[in-house]
Amino acid sequence: MKRSVALLFYSIGIALYCLVPFLWFVLTSLKSSAELTAIPPELIPSFHWGFYQSALQNYGLLHYVANSAIVAAATALITVAIGSLAAYAIARFQLTWTNFYLLLLLVVSMFPQIAIAGPIWTILDRLQWLNTYQGLVAAYIALSLPLAIWILATFFREVPREIEEAALIDGCSRLQALYKVVLPLAAPGILTAGLLVFIHAWNEFFFALIIMTDPTVQTLPVGIALFPGEYTMPWGEIAAASTIATLPLVVLTLIFQRGIVRGLSAGAVKG
Amino acid sequence: MKNSQRLALFFLLPSFFFVALFSIFPIVESLRLSFYRMILTLPWLGQRMVGWENYRDLLTDPVALASIRTTLIFIAVTIPLELLVGLGIALVLNEMFRGRGLLRAVVLIPWAVPTVVASQMWRFIFNDRYGLVNFMLFGADTSRYWAPLAHPHFALAAIMVAEIWKTTPFAALIILAGLQSIPDDLYEAASVDGATPWQKFRHLTLPLLKPALLLALLFRTIDALRVFDLVFVMTQGGPADATNVLQFYGYKKTFAEGMIGYGSAIAVTVFFMSLVLALAYLRAFKITRLQGQTP
Amino acid sequence: MSIVKIFQCCAAFVLGTHGAVAQAQNTELRFVTWRSEAPEVWNQGIADFERQNPGVKVVSEIGPQSSTQLHDLLTQKLKNRDTRLDVFVMDVIWPAEFASAGWALPLDGYFTAAEREKFLKAPISANQYRGRIFGVPLFIDAGLLYYRKDLLEKHKVSPPRTWPELVDAAKAVLAGEHDPQLVGFSAQFKQYEGLVCNMMEYILSNGGTLWDETRMVSALDRPASIAAVRFVRDRVIGEISHRGVLAYEEPESLALFTEGRAIFHRNWPYAWALANDGEKSKIAGKVGMTPLPGFGPGTGVATLGGWQLGLSRYSSKPDLAWRFAAFMTGKEMQKRIALATGRAPTRRALYDDPQIKKRIPQVQSLLATFKQAVPRPTTPVYVPLSNIMQRYFSAVLALPDTDIDGRAALAARDMNRVLDLLRDRQAP
Repeated sequence: MKRSVALLFYSIGIALYCLVPFLWFVLTSLKSSAELTAIPPELIPSFHWGFYQSALQNYGLLHYVANSAIVAAATALITVAIGSLAAYAIARFQLTWTNFYLLLLLVVSMFPQIAIAGPIWTILDRLQWLNTYQGLVAAYIALSLPLAIWILATFFREVPREIEEAALIDGCSRLQALYKVVLPLAAPGILTAGLLVFIHAWNEFFFALIIMTDPTVQTLPVGIALFPGEYTMPWGEIAAASTIATLPLVVLTLIFQRGIVRGLSAGAVKG
Repeated sequence: MKNSQRLALFFLLPSFFFVALFSIFPIVESLRLSFYRMILTLPWLGQRMVGWENYRDLLTDPVALASIRTTLIFIAVTIPLELLVGLGIALVLNEMFRGRGLLRAVVLIPWAVPTVVASQMWRFIFNDRYGLVNFMLFGADTSRYWAPLAHPHFALAAIMVAEIWKTTPFAALIILAGLQSIPDDLYEAASVDGATPWQKFRHLTLPLLKPALLLALLFRTIDALRVFDLVFVMTQGGPADATNVLQFYGYKKTFAEGMIGYGSAIAVTVFFMSLVLALAYLRAFKITRLQGQTP
Repeated sequence: MSIVKIFQCCAAFVLGTHGAVAQAQNTELRFVTWRSEAPEVWNQGIADFERQNPGVKVVSEIGPQSSTQLHDLLTQKLKNRDTRLDVFVMDVIWPAEFASAGWALPLDGYFTAAEREKFLKAPISANQYRGRIFGVPLFIDAGLLYYRKDLLEKHKVSPPRTWPELVDAAKAVLAGEHDPQLVGFSAQFKQYEGLVCNMMEYILSNGGTLWDETRMVSALDRPASIAAVRFVRDRVIGEISHRGVLAYEEPESLALFTEGRAIFHRNWPYAWALANDGEKSKIAGKVGMTPLPGFGPGTGVATLGGWQLGLSRYSSKPDLAWRFAAFMTGKEMQKRIALATGRAPTRRALYDDPQIKKRIPQVQSLLATFKQAVPRPTTPVYVPLSNIMQRYFSAVLALPDTDIDGRAALAARDMNRVLDLLRDRQAP
């Protein structure tokens, strides 16, 4: 009894901490123009949908969302696929140079992105990949691999060797062992890595700004950054856009959640 | 054994391809440029190799030194708080209860909101006329409303609050994954031995969480050293350079002023600081990790 | 219809249109710009140009609205000699920088002296660097003083003509109104480019200056410059405004005014329409507009703003690019833009146009201000100089007990170090 009360208390605290700033923005999106900049601020909006209409019609919000979804999904899938291979090698073949590779990745990820943005732009320009999905995705993959590989390697290390050895004895190749044995057991780590890479790619702003200058392929952060006028700040539309932008991610998380739990229980059964 | 070496190589090659082209090459290029004097808007000055001059200028540039200080203060305050709050959230999420799935989704919201949007949102919240913070502090008494972003110290604190809010889910998620990989039977065994929840936490959970904590610490520090979007949107480095973190200063030098050489030197300095901190963390954690592994 | 037939129809359609396109010999003209406030007018203009030039397709790349961000984007393309960029918009402080870097094409061959005469002088000189012209002005901005007509009338105060008068006027109204939420003055004092625009107006009207152009040294440490800065800190912000303005850019400062919480407001001409918009402003119809005051009678100075069109030196079709730039800054387009957005045109003739006079009633008095607007230092190193000045102004304003003279000396020293870079190249 005491436990569930404490949990409820903490849960509400955490929910408030995470939600209130964002909820404030959501409520703002539902205000009318006059209520928007009322002093003191009004807490309860009049549920006016004007800003949403404006954001969708005048600012083309939906296609930014689509672009972000494509880029982030592709980045997450490819990064996790390639990263799993590397992470497996690092976790299993504990050689000095595989550990060195892990450290190299970490070191490389420390470099400020502002400085490498220029050379990356030049490379993509030479490849004629500017203003293409593949160009941005390629850059994002490189940015996300260090984090993904680190997370995946940590999880792969936790998978007991014996199960794998059993599979190898049964005649599986290393790749098959990775596929059939390790991946299912490390599923929570894989989903975590995939989700983090997805969100990181979804949120990334600076590279997207300089690589995607054609409005048809621009991603959401860039699209929203283009909302403000030269001297005007359409808070209402920005708030509406943020709400719409965050909803897919929330839905995605709910879906992924079941995957994480299922992966865990599957691991328990197998173990 | 040679077979496994070849296999390992095969597994690493795809990722190495991307990293070499889009990370290593740009970094080398950046390093190279930091030894040149190159000012885009003054091309007649040419691109001269000036050796360590950019770095010497950096160490005598009061603005750069001040921004190094600001950056260090920034990470010293935000990282511990993020890890603490993240740990708290992860502990709650690790428990089994109804609605846990929903809470997990809610926890990810700060991380899911694009940084540029979150920056605008916090700028709106800290607004001195219709911001939420003022409303919560003073209610309808608008004459007492104040502008956090106009005071040097408060502006830095505001950026820190926004950063902590935005990144705690990341720390929470990493730590949660670590918590979930601790087998339940260990806890059961401890209960049988009569351990209190606090003892279980201190002697069982924390040591086994060290890898996850290290991961979170490492990546959060690297990211915090490069904080940019928040400063760009909320304060543009002001007021009075109070929020002029090193990465933002480097951006201004490289992109706004076209001083590519000096800007690259600043980037290399940020990189160097990350390296030093990362090595310090690894050293500290390696020792305790070895100790934890003895049966 | 069988599947095969449908497929054949589709194939024919696709190949047919493809063939037609291949025959049209489309030339693509790439134009980097922000999104206009009146996209219909902008796009209509582009469509008209395409109609007048068959076979030409103008591809607009919409960049960020923020001047700083758009600058970064253009810098990236131009420094990499991107050939897929022909025409771009330029903020008034960029031409010298872009000219020096070799990014903007000199337009002397296209933009003749006779043609230049038709434009206002100030923007033309802002587009010139070392005797050559690098941009065509599109529209012009200059700092203006807005005020609450009703409050001034109520307390029998006349619109101030000097800054000290403004401070006194504000105090009088504040004392009479007894409204704790009312402030005397709202403007842009955040550490960004707008801060330099604001501070320049005080410094120059006090007889000071930002730099000595002939000797290429900073003038921030001159007594007149320092006195002006001290005045802003102690009297404007200290007495009649509040610290919040130190975090304001244009939108926030204007919002304070349109909410009815400020008596005086300094902003660009665009604010007039917004302040009188019945839907968005609480003070519609109660707004007055006047040139900025100075420190003596008739010494008010307004900072020059505005946007121009430039041509990329790496463009493969400069003639076509010029035709486009000339079209978009032509009399017809400028008039359309002015009527749709209220932005002030840069062609003199339009200031006598009856339709424009109807749309922007005070356009004649605006013309007087525009004729005297002062550009910020026209030098390729303006951005580093601006950053130093922003740092100095913000430090003095945000930390009330700073030693202004000391800070000014430091800022001057830093500015001089930057200006020294230009000394090698004094001869053309």
